[in-house]
Amino acid sequence: MTAPLLTVRHVGWRVPDGPDILQRVSLDVSGGEFVAVMGRNGAGKSTLLDIIAGLRSPSEGTVTIEGRVLEEWDRHERARAMAHLPQVLRGDLSVRAEAIVLMGRYPNAASWFESDEDVRIAHEAMVRCECFDFRHRTLATLSGGERQRVYLAACLAQQARLLLLDEPATFLDVDQQLQCFSVVREQAERGAACLAVTHDVNLALTFCTRLVVLADRGVARDVRTADALEDPSWLRAFSARLDLERGPSGAWVRYF
Amino acid sequence: MLMRRIPAAAWIGGSAALFILAACLLPFVGPTTLDWGLVLRREEPDWSILVDLRLSRTLLGLFAGGALALAGALFQSMLRDALATPYTLGVSTGASLGAVLAIAFNWHTIAGVGGIWAGALAGAAFILFVVMGAATRHGQLSSSSLLLAGIAINSVCGAMILLVHGLTGISQSFAISRWLIGSLDAVERPTLLIYIVVVSVTSLLVVRQARRWNLLSVSESWAATRGADVRGALMQGYLAGSVLAAMTVALTGPIGFVGLVVPHLLRGRLGGDDRVLMPCAFLLGGVLLAGCDALGRAVLAPAEIPAGAITAFIGGPHLIWVVRRGGTR
Repeated sequence: MTAPLLTVRHVGWRVPDGPDILQRVSLDVSGGEFVAVMGRNGAGKSTLLDIIAGLRSPSEGTVTIEGRVLEEWDRHERARAMAHLPQVLRGDLSVRAEAIVLMGRYPNAASWFESDEDVRIAHEAMVRCECFDFRHRTLATLSGGERQRVYLAACLAQQARLLLLDEPATFLDVDQQLQCFSVVREQAERGAACLAVTHDVNLALTFCTRLVVLADRGVARDVRTADALEDPSWLRAFSARLDLERGPSGAWVRYF
Repeated sequence: MLMRRIPAAAWIGGSAALFILAACLLPFVGPTTLDWGLVLRREEPDWSILVDLRLSRTLLGLFAGGALALAGALFQSMLRDALATPYTLGVSTGASLGAVLAIAFNWHTIAGVGGIWAGALAGAAFILFVVMGAATRHGQLSSSSLLLAGIAINSVCGAMILLVHGLTGISQSFAISRWLIGSLDAVERPTLLIYIVVVSVTSLLVVRQARRWNLLSVSESWAATRGADVRGALMQGYLAGSVLAAMTVALTGPIGFVGLVVPHLLRGRLGGDDRVLMPCAFLLGGVLLAGCDALGRAVLAPAEIPAGAITAFIGGPHLIWVVRRGGTR
Protein backbone atom coordinates (compact mmCIF):
# COMPACT_ATOMS: atom_id res chain seq x y z
CA MET A 1 0.00 0.00 0.00
CA THR A 2 1.33 3.42 -0.95
CA ALA A 3 1.65 6.23 1.56
CA PRO A 4 -1.55 8.26 1.77
CA LEU A 5 -1.65 11.47 -0.23
CA LEU A 6 -3.73 13.20 2.42
CA THR A 7 -3.50 12.61 6.16
CA VAL A 8 -5.86 14.29 8.59
CA ARG A 9 -4.86 13.74 12.23
CA HIS A 10 -6.98 14.55 15.30
CA VAL A 11 -8.37 17.66 13.66
CA GLY A 12 -10.86 19.78 15.58
CA TRP A 13 -12.61 23.01 14.78
CA ARG A 14 -14.49 25.31 17.10
CA VAL A 15 -16.71 28.26 16.23
CA PRO A 16 -14.93 31.25 17.84
CA ASP A 17 -16.47 31.51 21.34
CA GLY A 18 -18.91 28.80 20.31
CA PRO A 19 -19.46 25.07 20.17
CA ASP A 20 -17.16 22.45 18.69
CA ILE A 21 -18.04 21.49 15.13
CA LEU A 22 -15.37 18.82 14.69
CA GLN A 23 -13.35 16.91 17.29
CA ARG A 24 -10.40 14.59 16.73
CA VAL A 25 -11.18 13.78 13.12
CA SER A 26 -8.65 11.46 11.49
CA LEU A 27 -8.66 10.35 7.88
CA ASP A 28 -6.19 8.96 5.33
CA VAL A 29 -6.88 9.25 1.62
CA SER A 30 -4.63 7.77 -1.06
CA GLY A 31 -4.35 8.54 -4.74
CA GLY A 32 -6.97 6.66 -6.74
CA GLU A 33 -9.63 6.94 -4.06
CA PHE A 34 -12.90 8.79 -4.58
CA VAL A 35 -14.33 9.51 -1.14
CA ALA A 36 -17.89 10.68 -0.58
CA VAL A 37 -18.01 12.95 2.46
CA MET A 38 -21.53 12.64 3.80
CA GLY A 39 -23.58 13.59 6.81
CA ARG A 40 -26.53 15.65 7.88
CA ASN A 41 -26.71 19.46 7.68
CA GLY A 42 -24.25 21.02 10.08
CA ALA A 43 -22.24 17.82 10.48
CA GLY A 44 -19.06 19.70 9.52
CA LYS A 45 -18.54 18.43 5.96
CA SER A 46 -17.69 21.81 4.47
CA THR A 47 -15.66 22.72 7.53
CA LEU A 48 -13.53 19.61 7.07
CA LEU A 49 -12.93 20.40 3.39
CA ASP A 50 -12.10 24.02 4.22
CA ILE A 51 -9.56 22.89 6.81
CA ILE A 52 -7.92 20.51 4.34
CA ALA A 53 -7.86 23.30 1.76
CA GLY A 54 -6.18 25.63 4.24
CA LEU A 55 -9.08 28.09 4.29
CA ARG A 56 -9.58 27.65 8.04
CA SER A 57 -6.97 26.77 10.61
CA PRO A 58 -7.99 23.83 12.78
CA SER A 59 -8.17 24.56 16.49
CA GLU A 60 -6.26 21.31 16.99
CA GLY A 61 -4.64 18.58 14.93
CA THR A 62 -2.75 18.63 11.65
CA VAL A 63 -3.33 18.14 7.94
CA THR A 64 -0.50 16.58 5.96
CA ILE A 65 -0.29 16.38 2.18
CA GLU A 66 2.32 14.15 0.57
CA GLY A 67 4.13 13.93 3.88
CA ARG A 68 4.38 17.69 4.36
CA VAL A 69 2.30 19.65 6.90
CA LEU A 70 -0.12 22.06 5.21
CA GLU A 71 1.43 25.22 6.65
CA GLU A 72 4.83 24.36 5.19
CA TRP A 73 3.59 24.47 1.61
CA ASP A 74 4.27 27.44 -0.61
CA ARG A 75 0.96 28.96 -1.80
CA HIS A 76 1.46 28.30 -5.51
CA GLU A 77 2.92 24.86 -4.95
CA ARG A 78 -0.04 23.98 -2.74
CA ALA A 79 -2.51 25.18 -5.35
CA ARG A 80 -0.82 22.96 -7.91
CA ALA A 81 -1.22 20.00 -5.57
CA MET A 82 -4.77 20.67 -4.46
CA ALA A 83 -7.90 22.17 -5.99
CA HIS A 84 -10.96 23.19 -4.00
CA LEU A 85 -14.48 23.87 -5.28
CA PRO A 86 -16.41 25.98 -2.76
CA GLN A 87 -20.07 25.34 -2.15
CA VAL A 88 -21.37 28.69 -3.33
CA LEU A 89 -19.65 30.88 -5.87
CA ARG A 90 -20.50 34.17 -7.40
CA GLY A 91 -22.69 34.02 -10.50
CA ASP A 92 -23.14 37.65 -11.49
CA LEU A 93 -19.74 38.23 -13.09
CA SER A 94 -19.34 39.61 -16.59
CA VAL A 95 -16.37 37.32 -17.10
CA ARG A 96 -16.31 34.77 -19.90
CA ALA A 97 -16.65 31.12 -18.87
CA GLU A 98 -13.31 30.39 -20.48
CA ALA A 99 -11.62 33.07 -18.38
CA ILE A 100 -12.97 31.44 -15.21
CA VAL A 101 -11.51 28.08 -16.23
CA LEU A 102 -8.21 29.76 -17.09
CA MET A 103 -8.10 31.03 -13.49
CA GLY A 104 -7.36 27.41 -12.59
CA ARG A 105 -4.03 27.92 -14.35
CA TYR A 106 -3.07 30.79 -12.00
CA PRO A 107 -0.64 28.73 -9.89
CA ASN A 108 1.00 27.33 -13.04
CA ALA A 109 1.29 30.32 -15.33
CA ALA A 110 3.95 32.81 -14.37
CA SER A 111 3.22 35.28 -17.14
CA TRP A 112 0.52 37.92 -17.26
CA PHE A 113 -1.46 36.12 -19.94
CA GLU A 114 -1.83 32.34 -20.03
CA SER A 115 0.15 30.34 -22.58
CA ASP A 116 -1.30 28.28 -25.44
CA GLU A 117 -0.61 25.23 -23.30
CA ASP A 118 -2.75 26.69 -20.50
CA VAL A 119 -5.55 27.37 -22.98
CA ARG A 120 -5.31 23.81 -24.29
CA ILE A 121 -5.57 22.38 -20.77
CA ALA A 122 -8.50 24.67 -19.95
CA HIS A 123 -10.33 23.66 -23.13
CA GLU A 124 -9.79 19.99 -22.43
CA ALA A 125 -11.26 20.45 -18.93
CA MET A 126 -14.23 22.30 -20.41
CA VAL A 127 -14.90 19.53 -22.89
CA ARG A 128 -14.86 16.97 -20.10
CA CYS A 129 -17.32 19.01 -18.04
CA GLU A 130 -19.47 19.65 -21.11
CA CYS A 131 -19.21 23.41 -20.92
CA PHE A 132 -16.94 24.02 -23.91
CA ASP A 133 -19.81 25.14 -26.13
CA PHE A 134 -20.55 28.19 -24.04
CA ARG A 135 -16.96 29.16 -23.32
CA HIS A 136 -17.47 32.66 -24.78
CA ARG A 137 -20.59 33.45 -22.78
CA THR A 138 -20.30 35.51 -19.62
CA LEU A 139 -20.91 33.81 -16.31
CA ALA A 140 -23.91 36.04 -15.57
CA THR A 141 -25.78 34.67 -18.61
CA LEU A 142 -25.38 31.01 -17.61
CA SER A 143 -27.79 28.93 -15.56
CA GLY A 144 -26.80 27.75 -12.09
CA GLY A 145 -25.92 24.28 -13.33
CA GLU A 146 -23.92 25.53 -16.31
CA ARG A 147 -21.98 27.81 -13.98
CA GLN A 148 -21.27 24.93 -11.64
CA ARG A 149 -19.76 22.96 -14.53
CA VAL A 150 -17.57 25.93 -15.45
CA TYR A 151 -16.22 26.14 -11.90
CA LEU A 152 -15.66 22.36 -11.85
CA ALA A 153 -13.73 22.66 -15.12
CA ALA A 154 -11.57 25.34 -13.49
CA CYS A 155 -10.72 22.89 -10.72
CA LEU A 156 -9.80 20.19 -13.25
CA ALA A 157 -7.67 22.68 -15.19
CA GLN A 158 -5.63 23.12 -12.04
CA GLN A 159 -4.41 19.54 -12.63
CA ALA A 160 -4.18 18.93 -8.92
CA ARG A 161 -3.42 15.60 -7.28
CA LEU A 162 -5.99 16.24 -4.57
CA LEU A 163 -9.51 17.38 -5.49
CA LEU A 164 -11.80 18.79 -2.79
CA LEU A 165 -15.31 19.32 -4.09
CA ASP A 166 -17.99 20.82 -1.88
CA GLU A 167 -21.31 19.63 -3.29
CA PRO A 168 -20.17 19.58 -6.93
CA ALA A 169 -23.53 18.26 -8.10
CA THR A 170 -25.67 21.07 -6.67
CA PHE A 171 -27.83 22.76 -9.31
CA LEU A 172 -27.01 20.05 -11.85
CA ASP A 173 -29.72 18.15 -13.70
CA VAL A 174 -29.71 14.37 -13.23
CA ASP A 175 -27.72 13.69 -16.40
CA GLN A 176 -25.13 16.30 -15.47
CA GLN A 177 -24.89 14.92 -11.92
CA LEU A 178 -23.93 11.58 -13.43
CA GLN A 179 -21.52 13.30 -15.83
CA CYS A 180 -19.93 15.25 -12.98
CA PHE A 181 -19.39 12.17 -10.82
CA SER A 182 -18.07 10.19 -13.80
CA VAL A 183 -15.51 12.87 -14.49
CA VAL A 184 -14.36 12.92 -10.87
CA ARG A 185 -14.22 9.13 -10.86
CA GLU A 186 -12.05 9.34 -13.97
CA GLN A 187 -9.72 11.75 -12.17
CA ALA A 188 -9.43 9.23 -9.34
CA GLU A 189 -8.67 6.43 -11.80
CA ARG A 190 -5.90 8.62 -13.24
CA GLY A 191 -4.38 8.69 -9.75
CA ALA A 192 -5.88 11.72 -8.03
CA ALA A 193 -7.30 11.59 -4.51
CA CYS A 194 -10.83 13.00 -4.63
CA LEU A 195 -13.15 14.05 -1.81
CA ALA A 196 -16.66 15.18 -2.68
CA VAL A 197 -19.37 16.32 -0.31
CA THR A 198 -22.71 14.95 -1.44
CA HIS A 199 -26.17 14.25 -0.10
CA ASP A 200 -27.07 11.83 -2.86
CA VAL A 201 -26.52 8.35 -1.40
CA ASN A 202 -27.08 6.58 -4.71
CA LEU A 203 -24.59 8.77 -6.56
CA ALA A 204 -22.08 8.00 -3.82
CA LEU A 205 -22.74 4.25 -4.01
CA THR A 206 -22.44 4.27 -7.79
CA PHE A 207 -19.28 6.30 -8.28
CA CYS A 208 -17.32 6.58 -5.03
CA THR A 209 -14.87 4.01 -3.74
CA ARG A 210 -15.36 4.93 -0.11
CA LEU A 211 -17.94 6.62 2.11
CA VAL A 212 -17.06 8.82 5.07
CA VAL A 213 -20.06 9.77 7.17
CA LEU A 214 -19.69 12.62 9.63
CA ALA A 215 -21.91 12.76 12.72
CA ASP A 216 -21.56 13.87 16.34
CA ARG A 217 -18.52 16.06 15.55
CA GLY A 218 -16.51 13.18 14.18
CA VAL A 219 -16.23 10.39 11.65
CA ALA A 220 -19.18 8.09 12.40
CA ARG A 221 -18.52 5.68 9.54
CA ASP A 222 -15.63 5.17 7.18
CA VAL A 223 -16.47 2.27 4.88
CA ARG A 224 -15.51 1.02 1.45
CA THR A 225 -18.43 1.21 -0.96
CA ALA A 226 -18.36 -2.56 -1.46
CA ASP A 227 -18.91 -3.05 2.29
CA ALA A 228 -21.56 -0.36 2.44
CA LEU A 229 -23.56 -2.32 -0.10
CA GLU A 230 -23.53 -5.34 2.23
CA ASP A 231 -24.45 -3.68 5.51
CA PRO A 232 -27.06 -0.89 5.47
CA SER A 233 -26.45 0.23 9.07
CA TRP A 234 -24.53 3.34 7.87
CA LEU A 235 -27.79 4.72 6.49
CA ARG A 236 -29.02 5.29 10.07
CA ALA A 237 -26.70 8.27 10.27
CA PHE A 238 -28.89 10.10 7.74
CA SER A 239 -32.47 9.08 8.30
CA ALA A 240 -34.66 6.25 9.56
CA ARG A 241 -36.48 6.35 6.25
CA LEU A 242 -33.78 4.79 4.09
CA ASP A 243 -33.03 1.19 3.32
CA LEU A 244 -30.92 -0.84 0.92
CA GLU A 245 -32.86 -2.54 -1.84
CA ARG A 246 -31.20 -5.46 -3.55
CA GLY A 247 -31.88 -6.49 -7.10
CA PRO A 248 -30.24 -8.53 -9.82
CA SER A 249 -28.21 -5.53 -11.03
CA GLY A 250 -26.91 -4.56 -7.57
CA ALA A 251 -28.11 -2.61 -4.57
CA TRP A 252 -29.47 0.90 -4.25
CA VAL A 253 -30.98 3.06 -1.55
CA ARG A 254 -34.75 3.21 -1.38
CA TYR A 255 -36.75 5.95 0.35
CA PHE A 256 -39.86 5.13 2.34
CA MET B 1 -24.81 37.57 -24.76
CA LEU B 2 -21.81 36.62 -26.84
CA MET B 3 -18.88 38.80 -25.99
CA ARG B 4 -17.55 40.51 -29.01
CA ARG B 5 -13.99 39.32 -29.05
CA ILE B 6 -12.05 42.42 -29.88
CA PRO B 7 -8.48 41.58 -28.98
CA ALA B 8 -7.27 43.01 -25.73
CA ALA B 9 -4.36 44.69 -27.44
CA ALA B 10 -6.68 46.65 -29.72
CA TRP B 11 -8.70 47.96 -26.78
CA ILE B 12 -5.64 49.00 -24.80
CA GLY B 13 -3.91 50.44 -27.85
CA GLY B 14 -7.00 52.38 -28.89
CA SER B 15 -7.46 53.75 -25.38
CA ALA B 16 -3.81 54.80 -25.24
CA ALA B 17 -4.15 56.56 -28.58
CA LEU B 18 -7.18 58.49 -27.31
CA PHE B 19 -5.28 59.40 -24.15
CA ILE B 20 -2.38 60.84 -26.14
CA LEU B 21 -4.73 62.56 -28.56
CA ALA B 22 -6.55 64.21 -25.65
CA ALA B 23 -3.24 65.37 -24.19
CA CYS B 24 -2.35 66.99 -27.53
CA LEU B 25 -5.70 68.55 -28.43
CA LEU B 26 -7.50 69.54 -25.22
CA PRO B 27 -5.02 72.29 -24.22
CA PHE B 28 -6.27 74.23 -27.25
CA VAL B 29 -9.83 74.32 -25.90
CA GLY B 30 -10.65 77.36 -23.79
CA PRO B 31 -12.39 80.68 -23.46
CA THR B 32 -9.71 82.65 -25.30
CA THR B 33 -8.51 81.78 -28.76
CA LEU B 34 -4.78 81.42 -28.84
CA ASP B 35 -2.71 83.52 -31.20
CA TRP B 36 -0.61 80.96 -33.05
CA GLY B 37 2.05 83.47 -33.90
CA LEU B 38 2.69 84.18 -30.24
CA VAL B 39 2.59 80.49 -29.31
CA LEU B 40 5.08 79.51 -32.00
CA ARG B 41 7.44 82.30 -30.96
CA ARG B 42 6.92 81.26 -27.32
CA GLU B 43 5.82 84.76 -26.43
CA GLU B 44 3.60 85.88 -23.59
CA PRO B 45 0.84 85.67 -22.68
CA ASP B 46 -0.36 82.97 -25.06
CA TRP B 47 2.59 80.62 -24.52
CA SER B 48 2.03 80.67 -20.73
CA ILE B 49 -1.71 80.22 -21.13
CA LEU B 50 -1.11 77.14 -23.23
CA VAL B 51 1.69 75.53 -21.25
CA ASP B 52 1.30 76.70 -17.65
CA LEU B 53 -2.46 76.81 -17.50
CA ARG B 54 -4.12 74.63 -20.10
CA LEU B 55 -1.52 71.90 -20.57
CA SER B 56 -0.97 71.44 -16.84
CA ARG B 57 -4.73 71.37 -16.31
CA THR B 58 -5.22 68.84 -19.08
CA LEU B 59 -2.48 66.60 -17.69
CA LEU B 60 -4.00 66.84 -14.22
CA GLY B 61 -7.37 65.90 -15.69
CA LEU B 62 -5.96 62.94 -17.60
CA PHE B 63 -4.11 61.50 -14.64
CA ALA B 64 -6.78 62.35 -12.05
CA GLY B 65 -9.51 60.74 -14.16
CA GLY B 66 -7.24 57.75 -14.72
CA ALA B 67 -6.44 57.40 -11.02
CA LEU B 68 -10.10 57.62 -10.00
CA ALA B 69 -11.34 55.18 -12.65
CA LEU B 70 -8.59 52.69 -11.83
CA ALA B 71 -9.21 52.96 -8.08
CA GLY B 72 -12.92 52.40 -8.76
CA ALA B 73 -12.25 49.32 -10.90
CA LEU B 74 -9.88 48.01 -8.24
CA PHE B 75 -12.31 48.43 -5.36
CA GLN B 76 -15.18 46.95 -7.39
CA SER B 77 -13.15 43.80 -8.04
CA MET B 78 -11.53 43.59 -4.66
CA LEU B 79 -14.69 44.20 -2.63
CA ARG B 80 -16.99 42.38 -5.10
CA ASP B 81 -19.29 45.39 -4.88
CA ALA B 82 -20.66 46.81 -8.11
CA LEU B 83 -21.22 50.21 -6.51
CA ALA B 84 -17.80 50.59 -4.93
CA THR B 85 -16.01 53.82 -5.82
CA PRO B 86 -12.65 55.32 -4.86
CA TYR B 87 -14.58 57.00 -2.03
CA THR B 88 -16.17 53.84 -0.61
CA LEU B 89 -13.37 53.00 1.79
CA GLY B 90 -13.33 56.34 3.57
CA VAL B 91 -9.87 57.54 2.68
CA SER B 92 -11.01 60.22 0.24
CA THR B 93 -13.55 61.52 2.71
CA GLY B 94 -10.70 61.67 5.21
CA ALA B 95 -8.72 63.64 2.64
CA SER B 96 -11.69 65.96 2.15
CA LEU B 97 -11.97 66.50 5.89
CA GLY B 98 -8.27 67.41 6.07
CA ALA B 99 -8.64 69.83 3.17
CA VAL B 100 -11.80 71.38 4.62
CA LEU B 101 -10.03 71.93 7.95
CA ALA B 102 -7.15 73.56 6.11
CA ILE B 103 -9.57 75.93 4.36
CA ALA B 104 -11.50 76.65 7.55
CA PHE B 105 -8.39 77.54 9.53
CA ASN B 106 -6.79 79.45 6.66
CA TRP B 107 -3.72 77.23 6.54
CA HIS B 108 -2.21 78.51 3.32
CA THR B 109 1.02 76.66 3.71
CA ILE B 110 2.09 73.91 6.05
CA ALA B 111 5.82 73.22 6.20
CA GLY B 112 6.29 74.90 2.83
CA VAL B 113 3.61 72.97 0.92
CA GLY B 114 0.09 74.02 0.05
CA GLY B 115 -2.17 73.83 3.10
CA ILE B 116 -5.05 72.07 1.34
CA TRP B 117 -2.74 69.52 -0.25
CA ALA B 118 -0.96 68.81 3.04
CA GLY B 119 -4.19 68.73 5.05
CA ALA B 120 -5.80 66.32 2.61
CA LEU B 121 -2.86 63.92 2.64
CA ALA B 122 -2.65 64.01 6.43
CA GLY B 123 -6.40 63.36 6.70
CA ALA B 124 -6.16 60.45 4.28
CA ALA B 125 -3.22 58.87 6.09
CA PHE B 126 -4.97 59.15 9.43
CA ILE B 127 -8.18 57.54 8.12
CA LEU B 128 -6.17 54.83 6.39
CA PHE B 129 -4.88 53.61 9.73
CA VAL B 130 -8.25 53.96 11.43
CA VAL B 131 -10.03 51.89 8.75
CA MET B 132 -7.28 49.29 8.62
CA GLY B 133 -7.36 48.96 12.41
CA ALA B 134 -11.14 48.76 12.55
CA ALA B 135 -11.28 46.16 9.77
CA THR B 136 -8.66 43.80 11.21
CA ARG B 137 -9.91 41.22 13.67
CA HIS B 138 -7.68 38.50 15.10
CA GLY B 139 -5.12 39.41 12.46
CA GLN B 140 -7.66 38.67 9.73
CA LEU B 141 -8.71 41.09 7.04
CA SER B 142 -11.63 40.51 4.71
CA SER B 143 -13.34 42.51 1.98
CA SER B 144 -16.55 42.70 3.97
CA SER B 145 -14.87 44.03 7.12
CA LEU B 146 -12.98 46.61 5.03
CA LEU B 147 -16.20 47.66 3.35
CA LEU B 148 -18.08 48.02 6.63
CA ALA B 149 -15.28 49.91 8.36
CA GLY B 150 -14.87 52.17 5.32
CA ILE B 151 -18.54 53.05 5.07
CA ALA B 152 -18.82 53.69 8.82
CA ILE B 153 -15.81 56.01 8.85
CA ASN B 154 -17.02 57.68 5.66
CA SER B 155 -20.18 58.79 7.39
CA VAL B 156 -18.30 60.05 10.46
CA CYS B 157 -15.96 62.14 8.27
CA GLY B 158 -18.93 63.37 6.24
CA ALA B 159 -20.63 64.55 9.41
CA MET B 160 -17.46 66.32 10.57
CA ILE B 161 -17.15 68.08 7.22
CA LEU B 162 -20.71 69.37 7.63
CA LEU B 163 -19.92 70.49 11.17
CA VAL B 164 -16.77 72.39 10.16
CA HIS B 165 -18.61 73.85 7.18
CA GLY B 166 -21.42 75.08 9.40
CA LEU B 167 -19.14 76.67 11.99
CA THR B 168 -16.91 78.70 9.66
CA GLY B 169 -17.39 82.20 8.35
CA ILE B 170 -19.01 83.11 5.06
CA SER B 171 -15.90 83.33 2.92
CA GLN B 172 -14.41 80.05 4.15
CA SER B 173 -17.78 78.42 3.85
CA PHE B 174 -17.97 79.46 0.20
CA ALA B 175 -14.45 78.22 -0.45
CA ILE B 176 -15.35 74.88 1.16
CA SER B 177 -18.49 74.43 -0.95
CA ARG B 178 -16.55 75.28 -4.07
CA TRP B 179 -13.80 72.84 -3.15
CA LEU B 180 -16.26 70.03 -2.34
CA ILE B 181 -17.70 70.11 -5.87
CA GLY B 182 -14.31 69.11 -7.19
CA SER B 183 -12.66 70.83 -10.11
CA LEU B 184 -9.44 70.96 -12.02
CA ASP B 185 -7.24 73.96 -11.58
CA ALA B 186 -3.79 74.55 -12.88
CA VAL B 187 -1.24 73.35 -10.32
CA GLU B 188 2.41 74.23 -10.02
CA ARG B 189 4.78 72.22 -12.10
CA PRO B 190 6.69 70.43 -9.29
CA THR B 191 3.43 69.33 -7.63
CA LEU B 192 2.05 68.11 -10.94
CA LEU B 193 5.25 66.21 -11.65
CA ILE B 194 5.20 64.47 -8.27
CA TYR B 195 1.52 63.65 -8.75
CA ILE B 196 2.03 62.15 -12.22
CA VAL B 197 4.97 60.03 -11.07
CA VAL B 198 3.18 58.69 -7.98
CA VAL B 199 -0.03 57.94 -9.89
CA SER B 200 1.81 56.23 -12.74
CA VAL B 201 3.91 54.04 -10.48
CA THR B 202 0.96 53.08 -8.26
CA SER B 203 -1.23 52.35 -11.28
CA LEU B 204 1.39 50.12 -12.85
CA LEU B 205 1.71 48.18 -9.60
CA VAL B 206 -2.07 47.73 -9.46
CA VAL B 207 -2.43 46.66 -13.09
CA ARG B 208 0.47 44.23 -12.76
CA GLN B 209 -1.58 42.32 -10.15
CA ALA B 210 -4.64 42.08 -12.42
CA ARG B 211 -4.80 38.30 -12.23
CA ARG B 212 -5.12 38.48 -8.45
CA TRP B 213 -7.96 41.03 -8.71
CA ASN B 214 -9.68 38.68 -11.17
CA LEU B 215 -9.45 35.83 -8.66
CA LEU B 216 -10.65 38.03 -5.80
CA SER B 217 -13.64 39.17 -7.83
CA VAL B 218 -14.93 35.57 -7.69
CA SER B 219 -14.39 35.09 -3.96
CA GLU B 220 -11.72 35.16 -1.31
CA SER B 221 -11.63 31.40 -0.86
CA TRP B 222 -11.49 30.94 -4.65
CA ALA B 223 -8.45 33.20 -4.76
CA ALA B 224 -6.82 31.49 -1.78
CA THR B 225 -7.20 27.97 -3.18
CA ARG B 226 -5.81 29.09 -6.54
CA GLY B 227 -2.65 30.08 -4.66
CA ALA B 228 -3.13 33.84 -4.24
CA ASP B 229 -2.13 35.67 -1.05
CA VAL B 230 -5.53 37.12 -0.13
CA ARG B 231 -4.55 39.12 2.93
CA GLY B 232 -1.56 40.62 1.16
CA ALA B 233 -3.64 41.43 -1.88
CA LEU B 234 -6.32 43.18 0.18
CA MET B 235 -3.74 45.24 2.07
CA GLN B 236 -1.90 46.23 -1.09
CA GLY B 237 -5.09 46.94 -2.98
CA TYR B 238 -6.44 49.09 -0.17
CA LEU B 239 -3.15 50.99 0.13
CA ALA B 240 -2.78 51.52 -3.62
CA GLY B 241 -6.40 52.57 -4.11
CA SER B 242 -6.05 54.95 -1.18
CA VAL B 243 -2.89 56.52 -2.55
CA LEU B 244 -4.57 57.06 -5.93
CA ALA B 245 -7.75 58.49 -4.44
CA ALA B 246 -6.14 60.62 -1.73
CA MET B 247 -3.50 62.18 -4.00
CA THR B 248 -6.23 63.03 -6.48
CA VAL B 249 -8.72 64.40 -3.98
CA ALA B 250 -5.96 66.54 -2.50
CA LEU B 251 -5.44 68.28 -5.84
CA THR B 252 -8.93 68.34 -7.33
CA GLY B 253 -11.45 67.92 -4.53
CA PRO B 254 -13.81 64.96 -4.51
CA ILE B 255 -14.75 64.66 -8.18
CA GLY B 256 -17.65 62.25 -8.26
CA PHE B 257 -18.71 59.39 -10.47
CA VAL B 258 -15.65 58.98 -12.72
CA GLY B 259 -14.62 56.08 -10.51
CA LEU B 260 -18.05 54.48 -10.78
CA VAL B 261 -19.09 55.24 -14.35
CA VAL B 262 -15.96 54.40 -16.30
CA PRO B 263 -15.34 50.87 -14.99
CA HIS B 264 -19.06 50.10 -15.31
CA LEU B 265 -19.35 51.26 -18.89
CA LEU B 266 -16.26 49.29 -19.83
CA ARG B 267 -17.27 46.14 -17.94
CA GLY B 268 -20.44 45.99 -20.02
CA ARG B 269 -18.48 46.35 -23.27
CA LEU B 270 -15.24 44.46 -22.84
CA GLY B 271 -16.00 42.10 -19.96
CA GLY B 272 -14.66 41.84 -16.47
CA ASP B 273 -11.07 40.73 -17.10
CA ASP B 274 -9.07 43.24 -15.09
CA ARG B 275 -6.01 42.73 -17.29
CA VAL B 276 -7.85 44.57 -20.05
CA LEU B 277 -10.39 46.49 -18.00
CA MET B 278 -7.91 48.22 -15.70
CA PRO B 279 -5.58 49.75 -18.30
CA CYS B 280 -8.56 50.82 -20.40
CA ALA B 281 -10.32 52.28 -17.35
CA PHE B 282 -7.25 54.33 -16.50
CA LEU B 283 -6.75 55.68 -20.02
CA LEU B 284 -10.40 56.34 -20.83
CA GLY B 285 -11.17 57.67 -17.34
CA GLY B 286 -8.47 60.24 -17.95
CA VAL B 287 -9.92 61.14 -21.34
CA LEU B 288 -13.39 61.48 -19.81
CA LEU B 289 -12.36 63.80 -16.99
CA ALA B 290 -10.06 65.96 -19.11
CA GLY B 291 -12.82 66.09 -21.74
CA CYS B 292 -15.45 67.11 -19.17
CA ASP B 293 -13.13 69.83 -17.94
CA ALA B 294 -12.55 71.14 -21.47
CA LEU B 295 -16.31 71.11 -21.97
CA GLY B 296 -16.75 73.08 -18.73
CA ARG B 297 -14.27 75.69 -19.97
CA ALA B 298 -15.86 76.07 -23.38
CA VAL B 299 -19.64 75.87 -22.87
CA LEU B 300 -20.34 78.98 -20.79
CA ALA B 301 -17.12 80.85 -21.53
CA PRO B 302 -15.87 83.00 -19.96
CA ALA B 303 -17.60 81.38 -16.97
CA GLU B 304 -16.49 77.86 -16.05
CA ILE B 305 -18.47 74.82 -14.94
CA PRO B 306 -16.40 72.75 -12.50
CA ALA B 307 -15.44 69.35 -13.89
CA GLY B 308 -16.92 67.72 -10.76
CA ALA B 309 -20.34 69.15 -11.61
CA ILE B 310 -20.18 67.90 -15.19
CA THR B 311 -19.13 64.38 -14.21
CA ALA B 312 -22.00 64.32 -11.71
CA PHE B 313 -24.42 65.43 -14.42
CA ILE B 314 -23.29 62.50 -16.53
CA GLY B 315 -22.81 60.10 -13.63
CA GLY B 316 -26.17 60.46 -11.92
CA PRO B 317 -28.32 59.46 -14.90
CA HIS B 318 -25.83 56.73 -15.72
CA LEU B 319 -26.22 55.26 -12.26
CA ILE B 320 -30.00 55.12 -12.71
CA TRP B 321 -29.48 53.45 -16.07
CA VAL B 322 -27.16 50.88 -14.49
CA VAL B 323 -29.69 50.09 -11.78
CA ARG B 324 -32.56 49.83 -14.27
CA ARG B 325 -30.61 47.45 -16.46
CA GLY B 326 -30.04 45.28 -13.40
CA GLY B 327 -26.36 46.12 -13.18
CA THR B 328 -23.53 45.60 -15.61
CA ARG B 329 -21.40 43.51 -13.36
